[in-house]
Amino acid sequence: MKKVISVVLCLTMLMGLFIGFGSASAEASKGVINLYSFTDEVPKMVTKYLELHPDFGYTVNPTIIATTDGLYQPALDQALAAGGADAPDMYCAESAFVLKYTQGDMASYAAPYADLGIDVAGETKAADIAQYTMDIGTRPADSALVALGYQATGGAMIYRRSIAKDVWGTDDPTEIAAKVGPGWDNFFKAAADLKAKGYGIVSGDGDIWHAVENSSEKGWIVDGKLYIDPNREAFLDLSKQLKDNGYSNDTKDWTDAWYADMQGIGTQPIFSFFGPAWLINYVMAGNSGGTKVGEGTYGDWAVCSSPIGFFWGGTWVLANTNADADKKAAVGKLIDWITLQTDENSLQYMWANGTLNGEGGTKDTVASGTVMAKSDGKLDFLGGQNMFDVFVPANQFANGKNLTQYDETINNLWRDQVRQYTAGNCTRDEAIANFKQAVTDTLGIEAAE
Amino acid sequence: MLHSGKQPKGISYAKYGYLFSIPFIVAFLIFSLYPTIFTAVIGFTDFKGVATTTFHFLKDPFANFVGILNNATFQNSLKNTLIIWIINFIPQIGLALLLTAWFTSRSRKIRGQGAFKVMFYLPNIITAATVAILFSAIFGYPVGPVNDILISLHLTDKPFDFSTDPWAAKLVVAFIQFWMWYGYTTIILISGVLGINPELFESAEIDGATSRQTFFKITLPCMRTILLFTLITSLIGGLNMFDIPKLYIWNGGPANETMTTSVFIYTQAFSGTYMYNRAAAASMIMFLIIAVLSVFVFYMMRDKYESRQKKALRQQKRALRKAEKEATI
Repeated sequence: MKKVISVVLCLTMLMGLFIGFGSASAEASKGVINLYSFTDEVPKMVTKYLELHPDFGYTVNPTIIATTDGLYQPALDQALAAGGADAPDMYCAESAFVLKYTQGDMASYAAPYADLGIDVAGETKAADIAQYTMDIGTRPADSALVALGYQATGGAMIYRRSIAKDVWGTDDPTEIAAKVGPGWDNFFKAAADLKAKGYGIVSGDGDIWHAVENSSEKGWIVDGKLYIDPNREAFLDLSKQLKDNGYSNDTKDWTDAWYADMQGIGTQPIFSFFGPAWLINYVMAGNSGGTKVGEGTYGDWAVCSSPIGFFWGGTWVLANTNADADKKAAVGKLIDWITLQTDENSLQYMWANGTLNGEGGTKDTVASGTVMAKSDGKLDFLGGQNMFDVFVPANQFANGKNLTQYDETINNLWRDQVRQYTAGNCTRDEAIANFKQAVTDTLGIEAAE
Repeated sequence: MLHSGKQPKGISYAKYGYLFSIPFIVAFLIFSLYPTIFTAVIGFTDFKGVATTTFHFLKDPFANFVGILNNATFQNSLKNTLIIWIINFIPQIGLALLLTAWFTSRSRKIRGQGAFKVMFYLPNIITAATVAILFSAIFGYPVGPVNDILISLHLTDKPFDFSTDPWAAKLVVAFIQFWMWYGYTTIILISGVLGINPELFESAEIDGATSRQTFFKITLPCMRTILLFTLITSLIGGLNMFDIPKLYIWNGGPANETMTTSVFIYTQAFSGTYMYNRAAAASMIMFLIIAVLSVFVFYMMRDKYESRQKKALRQQKRALRKAEKEATI
């Protein structure tokens, strides 16, 4: 008896060890499409597609890993490199690191859209896709388009109407745009006006960083060496100016204090935030302390063009070139629906008009000019202003020329050092030297002389 | 011998021992030994880049090791690791000893010991990610509970940025480590004290020893092995500290001031340019440092009386043999 029990126990243990290797997909579908994403946006879109197209035939298995703490890229890279049945068939990349997947170290994994059964030239023209979206998504090695985004992320200044009236006696977007811009000099003049009445112009230096980042001529890496663009170096001084004069609440973006300023309950009331349409809908609306006009700061906002044009964020969608042909064609259908179609059942139309999950959803600017032309961007959150009037022209500032594949890491190192400088923990020269050292040590990229 | 000659029919348990150990050995070989050896090997190669699968041995096999030792960020991270470990470990072992002394005291019985032990141990059960988020909220800037308290008590007039000041950040990380692990250390030490023969305490009591004398003359010396265990595990754990420094502020920020060697190794290998070779070299260097420090701790904690006796015994034997030899001649 003992013998039997021990044999059974041994077998159970051995089975426990190997059971993990078995596959568990025995569903009656053509196969599984593995989808890697850093938010639930694209997985939700795909769910909607499956709802609209019940005959699609494939099941989709989403893996969502947030970009906070820089965890998404390592996971995606390793999954792509490992290959096999669990490899991602379709994956998303954000503007801070999309170049790595379209033009950099991981570009060889991307499948050209043409191989997915998409008529690239015809459809991009019909949808009037912004040039920068295509520039970023084109692989230089074979000039093939491998990625497209569904958003357009030109940025604007999003400001509080009540504060504008108190300081300048008007909340009209054109007049306010003329007060706070163009250029940083006018911006700081406006900051002084606001300070005199006890307001901060922005919440922290993170708010102006994206404007600084995208107004630079060149990216962080030029000819394989680290290059600090004069515009980006000037961020040290802009940031110091904000902090020393008390023009901001010295918050860090994506922290509780930053969110508190959207609700107007920070150290001093904050006049504005810098961001694209997605910031309004996905971040500010939820943190405004209300859900309809009159509650919290909801309805007290408006958008005007930014003192310095910029763009921030955006998601590009890619397909794995190593997937089999049938699966590629299926992924192609998903990608086509998400990035290129323009009719009323297309993703971009529903995305722009906030109808993806029924009427009254959040609105956003999308990559297709054709869709933008027939969409309406009126928002209660903005006091009824049509935000597309400001955001569509803002898209001209977007370009992919000053991005590099290591931006996420380098930006973090740079902003860390700027914070040390503004806090008075090191001198300006030390901050730059420490930054160069950190980039060399952690990325193996030498600084240019 | 009663059963000699004819073996009784029984079960030889030895083979089941082997059978039962197979899963562990297989798992160990695949998931532990192989990666370790692989890491040791790629430290000498040019293996880097995410899409690479082939690699070659370097002409100068120690180039990665020299590079790492000269790397200012590595030196800084080694310094941070030691600082954070020391300012977390000394108060930790101190508090753990104090709690142990109270909880095992024979003269005053503390009520609700079980409840206290659970409470002390609780921080250890919460995952590091949760703890890191909790503490970055608590030490939030410019608004956060700690800053609110400091300002309302008029200890400062404007909020203090705990996550930008290099020393504040180190102290917070060290405090989190302390807070997470003192309960564990206390439980281990209490079990060590409970393992001491109670007769020793009784006789000390009869001889009129004070509780202070009992603690320092009986409890502490009898806990040598358990203290050694605590020191070694904490040393290894402390020098491999990863989760809190990685998660509390982005990748060991601010400006690498809470970057430990493990975070450094991670950033070398997995964020940015995937320098597996340099990360492997750094891992091996850390392995050597930890091994040397562990040997040092073993040496410091050895039973001096016992080793002296052993030495004397050896000398005696040698003298005896010498005398015997001389006698035979």
